[in-house]
Amino acid sequence: MRETHQDQIERWADFVKNNPDKWRSIHNQFINSLFQNHQRIYKELSKTREGKKKLIEIYGIKNLEGFPSLQD
Amino acid sequence: MERQASDKNILNQFCNDFCEILEDHVEYIVVSGFVAIASGRTRGTEDIDIIIREMKRNDFEELHKNLVERGFVCIQSPDSDEIYDYLKNKTSVRYSRKDVPLPEIELKFGKDKLDDYQFKTKERLPLIGLNVWFSSVNMNVAFKEELLKSPKDLEDADYLRKIYKDRINEEEIGKVKQMINELRL
Repeated sequence: MRETHQDQIERWADFVKNNPDKWRSIHNQFINSLFQNHQRIYKELSKTREGKKKLIEIYGIKNLEGFPSLQD
Repeated sequence: MERQASDKNILNQFCNDFCEILEDHVEYIVVSGFVAIASGRTRGTEDIDIIIREMKRNDFEELHKNLVERGFVCIQSPDSDEIYDYLKNKTSVRYSRKDVPLPEIELKFGKDKLDDYQFKTKERLPLIGLNVWFSSVNMNVAFKEELLKSPKDLEDADYLRKIYKDRINEEEIGKVKQMINELRL
């Protein structure tokens, strides 16, 4: 029978509980990759005026002083 | 054993750095999704929710100044007066690192008896490896099962129940659910 999403969550929870020395590095790689990918896209989009506009809109940025890459 | 800085992922380091500043200014608790994620749950998130005790305007100005000095910016405004007004009006404000919109902290003032109770029952969670204050596991489970209830939240609650089996107290969860019904629903 195919494993459900709930089964996957429980299987991972068991892994975390039973492998205190292993789970963190796997988890860190997963979390870091999400933000590294985001940062890559941010840098790419902020190269153009249109891209800057999109980023300002997506993140609801009203304080442009805090985001020098998005200033014209 | 003392954990090394390299043990922390980007999200944990971000939370740690922000809370280190809060610690000098105000009582705070980290709540909701980050508790599950930092405990090992593998799902994406963009923000970390933090509740702080309500502060006087001048005290908040000091906090904001300190955050800016340490490389954080408020996404909505650079002006501490304006940010304070948002908080007083029960609107959350978002902070990120300068020129890096994600991850972000979603910050708000505690607003009622339930938040008071969250402060009173806050705890450290050694599994996470961060020296920050979290709302209790029982609180988080109750909020996710009784108030938030999205599939993601219910999965978080299941995960927390499993990973913190030794901290789960059904009587406490029931009590919090009752408070949620009285104060938030």
